[in-house]
Amino acid sequence: MEEVLQLKGQIKEKERELVILRKKLAQLEKLSDFPTDDLLDKITPLAPVTPKTSLTNEDIMRFSRQLLLPELGVKGQLKLSKTSVLVVGCGGLGCPLAQYLAAAGIGRLGLLDHDEVELSNLHRQVLHSERTQGQPKSHSAAQAIRRLNSTVQCVPYHLQLSSENALQLIQQYDIVADCSDNVPTRYLVNDACVLSGKPLVSASALRMEGQLTVYNYNGGPCYRCLYPVPPPPETVTNCSDGGVLGVVPGIMGCLQALEVLKIASGQGSSYGQQLLMFDGQGSRFRSIRLRPKQAGCAVCGENPTVTQLQDYETFCGSAATDKCRRLNLLSKEQRITVQDYKSIVDSSTPHILLDVRPQVEVDICHLPSSLNIPLASLEQRKAEHIHLLRERISDLKQQLDAQSQVPVYVVCKQGNDSQKAVQILEKMSGPEVDCVSVRDICGGLMAWAQKIEPSFPQY
Amino acid sequence: MISEVSVLYFAKGAELTGLKSETVKLPSELTTLQLWQELEGRHPKLSVIREQVVLAVRQEYVALGDQSVSLRDGDEVAVIPPLSGG
Repeated sequence: MEEVLQLKGQIKEKERELVILRKKLAQLEKLSDFPTDDLLDKITPLAPVTPKTSLTNEDIMRFSRQLLLPELGVKGQLKLSKTSVLVVGCGGLGCPLAQYLAAAGIGRLGLLDHDEVELSNLHRQVLHSERTQGQPKSHSAAQAIRRLNSTVQCVPYHLQLSSENALQLIQQYDIVADCSDNVPTRYLVNDACVLSGKPLVSASALRMEGQLTVYNYNGGPCYRCLYPVPPPPETVTNCSDGGVLGVVPGIMGCLQALEVLKIASGQGSSYGQQLLMFDGQGSRFRSIRLRPKQAGCAVCGENPTVTQLQDYETFCGSAATDKCRRLNLLSKEQRITVQDYKSIVDSSTPHILLDVRPQVEVDICHLPSSLNIPLASLEQRKAEHIHLLRERISDLKQQLDAQSQVPVYVVCKQGNDSQKAVQILEKMSGPEVDCVSVRDICGGLMAWAQKIEPSFPQY
Repeated sequence: MISEVSVLYFAKGAELTGLKSETVKLPSELTTLQLWQELEGRHPKLSVIREQVVLAVRQEYVALGDQSVSLRDGDEVAVIPPLSGG
């Protein structure tokens, strides 16, 4: 009877694996049929946007509601039609920005992104769709833009902006919009804009907050004037770790589009020396008056030390991506693989599985019988949590013989926080809690989902 | 003289202090560096964002240094670290 149940269980598992494999296959097949002819993976010189001298009847009809604005008018519309804008990053900010610029009749849009569309992008990156999953974002965005306004020239770039290509690319555009998701790219885009004399409309968003400033515009400060020293990488939270409510970058991307349109049509931006902050939780906008351009600035100052583009990943000490960094804090002996942990579970070896993720992530998914104590609580030695841990350890100790140490396996999402937790627990073992042997589960729950239990959710 | 000001913490500032805002009694006349040190004294974890922070008094940026700043009751002080996500 038990064997029948076991077999049924195994069949169910295999069926789940098949579903996942079929999905993957369908995605790859879809990827191979999309046309790649117009997708640029290198930068080629573009002819200047042909200036229009008058609007066609169709233009007049399409743009009639904005032509009625005295602030824009025919003159402003003609200026938009000859302006080119480079969108750095076709994500949560870049999608709404590109969408509104195309709708308003901007002349040319450079759409740059080196990533592919993933399911977890769709809650905020509103130009992409279920159908374009797996395709380069630049291509997916260009397709959506063409459906909206076929008269806009779209130039998709499926590449990573780098010190080697940034100047050549940025020189070809009138205005640059920084919609990127990481610190090294923000410094790179800033320096390239200063060196080529382009205004930089920059926005960022995380969780429920957003920020916007226009740099290097009308004698105002650049990004480095404000932030001469990059932040220590461990203090930077990205959207894949910290989360973001989709509409927040949506709001910031729309505000960015507004500033681009004002600059392009000749009205000028009001954010040249201002930081606009949006607090989505308190529904408040605040404008902070910033310091002016700094004479001592390394790139836009009187005696600049940055006269060509640098290695920004080295400068910032982090990679130009918002994907998670892999920490390596422990020795081989302090870690086990998910396969090893699976055999510990299968052999019913007594142990404690300690999940150190925040409660909000445990609510998404967790392994049965895991004890949840967030890393922050361990760091702060929160009394209730330490008490809980002590209790679990002494319960287990009673089951084991007196000499052996209680084995504790620590897990988190990707295996970074769990390593920090192992270090903390090793210090606590003895003085603060009964002696334990602590090990980190390499790669965390995401490795578990990929290698052991395909039906376990990934996020 | 002491002033009671409202200090707002944004982004990483809110994460490090565990607060979105608080009311703090501070000397009415102090330098911008002293102002920051007062905040760092209350929340030592803020020290990691010191080099990047935009510190604003009455919605105006102040550089950390020896220039003096006058605080009045009800003034708003904001601690704004840069965001880089998108």
